Amino acid sequence: MMAVLKHWFHKLNKEFPLANIACTHCNLEFDESVMIIEDEGDKKLFFCCKGCQGVYHLLSSEGLDTFYDKLGDTKLQPASQKSDDLEKFDLEGFKNKYITTHEDGLYEINLIIEGIHCSACVWLNEKVLHKTEGVLEATINYTNNKAKIVWDPDEIQLSKIIETIRSIGYNAYPYDPKLQEERAVKTRKDYYSRILVAVFGSMNIMWIAIAHYAGYFSGMKQEFKDILNVAEFILATPVLFYSGWVFFRGAYYGYKNNIVNMDTLVASGALSAYIYSIYAMVTQRGEVYFDSVAMIITFVLVGKYLEVLSKKHAVDTLDSIMGSTPTEVTVITNKEKSLISIENITLGDTIELKPGEKVVIDGIVTSGQGSFDESSLTGESEPVYKQEGDNILSGSLCLDSVLRYEATKDASSSLLHSIVSLLEESITKKPRIEQLADAVSGYFSSIILAIALVAFTGWWFIGGDFEHALIIGISVIVIACPCALGLATPMATLVGISIAAKRGILFKEATFLETMAKSDLLALDKTGTITEGKPSVVHTQTLQKYDHNLLYSLVSTSNHPISKGIAAYLKQNNELLQELPLEDIKTIQAKGIQSSYQEKKLIGGNASYMQTFGLSVEEQTENTLFYFAIEDQLVARFELSDTLREGAAEAIKEIQAMGTRVVMLTGDHEQSAQKVAQEVGITEIYAKLLPQEKATMIDKFHEEGHIVVMAGDGINDTIALAKSDIAIAMGNGADVAISVSDVVLMDEKPGSIYEAYRLSKRTFRAVKENLGFSLLYNVIAVPLAVMGFVNPLVAALSMSLSSLMVVGNSIRIKTLKFKDRS
Amino acid sequence: MSESVVMLMIGVSTFLGALGLIALLWGVKTGQFDDQSKFIDATHFDNEEDLRDAVMMEEKRKARLKKREEEKEKKKNYMPAD
Repeated sequence: MMAVLKHWFHKLNKEFPLANIACTHCNLEFDESVMIIEDEGDKKLFFCCKGCQGVYHLLSSEGLDTFYDKLGDTKLQPASQKSDDLEKFDLEGFKNKYITTHEDGLYEINLIIEGIHCSACVWLNEKVLHKTEGVLEATINYTNNKAKIVWDPDEIQLSKIIETIRSIGYNAYPYDPKLQEERAVKTRKDYYSRILVAVFGSMNIMWIAIAHYAGYFSGMKQEFKDILNVAEFILATPVLFYSGWVFFRGAYYGYKNNIVNMDTLVASGALSAYIYSIYAMVTQRGEVYFDSVAMIITFVLVGKYLEVLSKKHAVDTLDSIMGSTPTEVTVITNKEKSLISIENITLGDTIELKPGEKVVIDGIVTSGQGSFDESSLTGESEPVYKQEGDNILSGSLCLDSVLRYEATKDASSSLLHSIVSLLEESITKKPRIEQLADAVSGYFSSIILAIALVAFTGWWFIGGDFEHALIIGISVIVIACPCALGLATPMATLVGISIAAKRGILFKEATFLETMAKSDLLALDKTGTITEGKPSVVHTQTLQKYDHNLLYSLVSTSNHPISKGIAAYLKQNNELLQELPLEDIKTIQAKGIQSSYQEKKLIGGNASYMQTFGLSVEEQTENTLFYFAIEDQLVARFELSDTLREGAAEAIKEIQAMGTRVVMLTGDHEQSAQKVAQEVGITEIYAKLLPQEKATMIDKFHEEGHIVVMAGDGINDTIALAKSDIAIAMGNGADVAISVSDVVLMDEKPGSIYEAYRLSKRTFRAVKENLGFSLLYNVIAVPLAVMGFVNPLVAALSMSLSSLMVVGNSIRIKTLKFKDRS
Repeated sequence: MSESVVMLMIGVSTFLGALGLIALLWGVKTGQFDDQSKFIDATHFDNEEDLRDAVMMEEKRKARLKKREEEKEKKKNYMPAD
């Protein structure tokens, strides 16, 4: 979320430099000449568009204008006015899919509200919905902008509710909470309660334990000791059995599958310390360990909870993809149009697409032509032109024309659907990483358990004293368990993670450092990862002198990346640029822009667009070309190319020098992939890959026995990201990409990938050192315990000493030097 | 200091703490902590107007219930003329 916001503001500042006038509604800043100006009493109001003006007046007439005080300086999206698809909300298919009916006849729906930027927006939406007749409940979540609305179907229709939300400048689309969310919320609540109990228990035990230790050194009567013991016992019991239940469950599943895992260690360690402490309490011999029981459970539980949280976030973004897809499509049967729910589409049906519609079913174009935005699939921002006989893929967006196509797949096997279901699968399970993380502790715990058992039976047979044998057996587990392994890994990774975060590299989970250190293959996406993803001018040629303002005004009318590239170039080279009022602006997608200024015809676009105006331009280059003509006279020519990110070549060289194989996976065509690969020094390239094909490549690398790190930024990379062992996303990338990824690079520099590698390798070394040390500690302490030499004082001292050693060694990671890149 | 004083002190303080814990658990269970940002952000706008809003929503619900009851009542009393 933060990354997205940051990106957004960044974009805003670029597009609308300061010193302009802010729109009264949305706070975006524009030049005065393009704004709608209105006088209201002694105040002058400025609006950037009709939409914002409308919303402003609506709010002030409803008495809701305190919204603007609450809003402060936050910038909103300009209110767009669209109301073409409202009828779909009242269709039967839609109702069956998203609306739940209450027992008393009320309807309930879960919506995602789009366009919310701050809490004032949430306030406004709730307020307006509350005022709407027939709406009985409307709550909006401040964190993920999801809303739950309950209404009376006799009084108001859903389409009317959606219209209300749209009328104040927001948009809403439904999602199905049963898919993922309900379960995610339930686990989160469950963990939350368990943590509360655990924290309460362990904090209280701690202060009782302080009294205990003070008494141990200064002497304390047995009666007082008993009181403290009982109090600790009462507090530790719910912590172990309620909060620690997840570990017992995990250990049980592990036992059923014949796996000894971290849960087994935690559960057996905590349980045996608990039993031993009860024994010590009842017999009034030895020391109790209730405090360590509670501490172990609390710390490990909090760690697990963080994992649950990150899963929840991923679910939120997944819902928004699914929610924005249509549930019905227009089908042509016997020359008649009808809306049919996508589940009922069969192969061979003819479907009509309107401009701006999202494709949900794959097919082949039968009549018409138009350009499609496939950026969510291929990552390439340029629209693709399609005509009769061409394939269209679900997930792409029809941009400019009406066309018909024949369905070649049904809804469930179409591309978009399969992407979503693959993602769902990958969010719920990520087995490879957990296996790696559990491997070491698994061996360790089985060995300790075995030694404890041997010690117990040995002492029992030889000494014949059951009680004494039991104490020794348990003390082996107690002395080995909490500090040795418990701290070795988390302490080092914690330091590693915090250093990484300071350098703009966010590791979502500690174990990822370990996995990354072991990886031997790095797969990189091209657009947006190695390159900027924004074309910029590399070469210009002025054929005739012309007014730069004309070209600037022309390209400013379009949002196409090429136009933006030209505009950025002009801004860089000219100090005073003015936007001139152009007339008759026409944008022909995938070709160019046409307009006129004071009766002069301006055209700008690619070669084929120039040819339609009778201008002969023909050349071959690996760069993208843009021509500008005034009155059918060619005046300028620009070559644009996607520039490499800063330091990409060096970073890749250094990663290769570490012995990591680097490959490039891209949806772009071979030629441009080759060019970029040569510049950065990658020899292994896989071009023209669809999203699933990227994922298949990752699977193939896995089969070859590699541990794969994948870096990417778009929706087209998400399946591959989810499949790889470590997924690195760029901070400005698509929301989904960020949520399935394990590492996020805030500064987007390829150099950070190299730093992440070095840091994880250093951290992993520290983990190994820590493990080695704690193993050494155990080699000395455990035999002593087995021989029965361990008294409580020695145990307490050696435990804290060993922890201090582990902490100290971990802090040494901070000495790792990076080349400073200020 | 006698044992009973220590016992009383630990007992009372733990009990008071436990009351707080129970309140928190109840809060979690009824979904009051489902929305982290609401804690921080929503408090900015907390005023009596919101209370009025809440009352208004409650009344809407009540009004609807009443209407339904009346309709039911009508149906019950409806006797087909045979």
